[in-house]
Amino acid sequence: MNYNKKTFYLFLGPILIAFLMVVVIPLVIGVYYSFTEWNGRMDQTPNFIGMANYIALFKDEGFLNAFLFTVKFTVVSVISINVIGFSLALLVTKKLKISNAMRTIFFMPNLIGGLILGFIWQFIFMGVFETLGNLTGFSFFQGWLATANTGFWGLVIVMVWQMSGYLMIIYIAALQNIPKSLLEAADIDGASGWAKTRYIIFPMVAPAFTISLFLTLANSFKLFDQNLSLTNGGPGGATEMLALNIYKTAYTFTNYGGAQAKAVVFFILVAGITIIQVAINKKKEVEM
Amino acid sequence: MKNYMKGLLVGSALLLTACGGEKEQEKTVVDIFQFKVEIAEEFDALSQIYMEEHPNVEINIETVGGGGDYGASLRAKMASGNEPAIFNVGGPQDVYDWQDKLVDLSDTNMAKSAFKGSLDGATLDGKVYGLPYTQEGYGFIYNKGIFASAGIDPNSITSFATLEKAVKVLDTKKKELGLDAVFALAGKETWVTGLHYSNVGLSQEFGDVFAAYNAKTVEFKYSDGMKKLFDLQMDYARTPINATDYSTQVERLFSMGKVAMTQQGNWAYGSINGIDEKLAGNIGFLPMPIVGAKENVLPVGIPMYWTVNKSVTPAQQQAAKDFLDWVYTSDTGKDYVINKFNFVPPYKGFDGENLQPKDPLAKDIMKFSKAGNTISWVFMGYPTGWGQEKLGVELQKYVDGQVTWDQVIKVTKDSWAESRK
Repeated sequence: MNYNKKTFYLFLGPILIAFLMVVVIPLVIGVYYSFTEWNGRMDQTPNFIGMANYIALFKDEGFLNAFLFTVKFTVVSVISINVIGFSLALLVTKKLKISNAMRTIFFMPNLIGGLILGFIWQFIFMGVFETLGNLTGFSFFQGWLATANTGFWGLVIVMVWQMSGYLMIIYIAALQNIPKSLLEAADIDGASGWAKTRYIIFPMVAPAFTISLFLTLANSFKLFDQNLSLTNGGPGGATEMLALNIYKTAYTFTNYGGAQAKAVVFFILVAGITIIQVAINKKKEVEM
Repeated sequence: MKNYMKGLLVGSALLLTACGGEKEQEKTVVDIFQFKVEIAEEFDALSQIYMEEHPNVEINIETVGGGGDYGASLRAKMASGNEPAIFNVGGPQDVYDWQDKLVDLSDTNMAKSAFKGSLDGATLDGKVYGLPYTQEGYGFIYNKGIFASAGIDPNSITSFATLEKAVKVLDTKKKELGLDAVFALAGKETWVTGLHYSNVGLSQEFGDVFAAYNAKTVEFKYSDGMKKLFDLQMDYARTPINATDYSTQVERLFSMGKVAMTQQGNWAYGSINGIDEKLAGNIGFLPMPIVGAKENVLPVGIPMYWTVNKSVTPAQQQAAKDFLDWVYTSDTGKDYVINKFNFVPPYKGFDGENLQPKDPLAKDIMKFSKAGNTISWVFMGYPTGWGQEKLGVELQKYVDGQVTWDQVIKVTKDSWAESRK
């Protein structure tokens, strides 16, 4: 089949121009700004200072702490989101009466925007938990978000609560695509439940793992809105993640050049980690 | 101040007012670009009255709420070529930035009747570039009912020693008074600690906002006194301090009578009044005493200034000045300023019975003002981001026990010097 070149460019053109204008060109300009000293005022020309911003960011304790915190957060949340999402998927694909209702309920948190979600949970942690603590006397409920530790777990809980339902949908699709014949054959061979999960279900849903890990890894690493609304980096900057650190460098300290340098490093980090992850996962997928 | 913060979060609400009357050639058009979204409607109504009295002037008001948004919108407005005749500046940084655009307003009636010191934040080389909107003040808002039940005379509290004594008395009677704690300290709000609290000591170190703005270093001359007052709040505050935000502090604790005192400003009156009108009628300000400095003081400042744009025609400049003078010095204008805008104007001439602020916090500001017991706001002169993101954040660590007071001082001192290099 010969396809018409004119039609091809006619359809590709608009989106290509849009992509160039809002992604590629700003990216290139952004990289340039990362080599300048600039306070973000349009009437001031950025002053070229070479690598100084990059040297400064490796000495910036706040940035390094934010990096470590982000890594810690990402590891914990990627594992918990995937474990919980997969378990939920296994649960709702059992032939239960309430399966459909449960799917809806588990997916619902995903429909709420991140900022709102952060504020809702802030109320739960600071208001509801406190009241529960006063009623029951359990010290576990007290002082949420007031310490670095509860701030960390608060963020993890919100993230898991929001993302698990989404991953559940992906895993459901994958689980339902497993041919019945395979499982029936295993049953006839007398395979146990665990053996079926380990040797049939896991390999068959591997492509879904690739996507899910990618989504959770990238989303956790880039988390911004929940971080802003739930803790705003506090207390004492202990729960400040990379995206929030960059935002504050630019808008609070009006150091646009420095923030841009951090953003470039951030971009390379996220791109690098996710590419490696996808490459590793791809190898583990099996072809039917 | 709180309005700023809300504005930053909520975003901007844009209000375009309709043009009054028919456009005629000889009319002088005065475009106003202002930021106080709370007064937008009333201000518009006032301008209608002015236009009826002065048929040859046409006033168009545009309001953009929120500090950050206002600054950005103003830049865009100026860049568009459609420059307003009247706009607002917040402090020294804005005055420096817009200096080329600002008309000297020393000859206005407003400038002549302004309280001593209230023009400082917008005065440069002896020229008055901005005229104050209103005064705002903060201190320890206290519940008069609780103080009376505890048998404490609030008028006796004029120093740190007397405040400490009162706090201890309140603490021992916590149960019978139904208090959770003596204080509510909003540790989560870094503007409460990093900007407002620190200002009490640093204002007395620098004197005025320009000195702070030009200072290469900060000394923390009253560090000991600042530590004492902070520790007093911290030791007797409801925990967890770092998870106490503005609404918890003002609405859930103070307005419900769960604490006796809290550090906030007169802008909180609306929130308190919305929850318990009776309680709101029975509150007042206590000073914030720093040992070693002047102790019986209330920090009072100007949140925003009116300015006139040099780029518009001389006739428009004059019309703009006349309008501002009319708002703050005519009888109709004064009535609006006090009773509709709920301002605490830092101008002479508001003496009539019906020209007194209605809410108790505003009244207390006037009381401190008249007695000369106020200190200025210098936090507009801190290095960008320093107050909230450095000092405020370090104070959270201090509350958490991660760092000592000396470390807080050292880190923030270094950071100030670094920013002003």
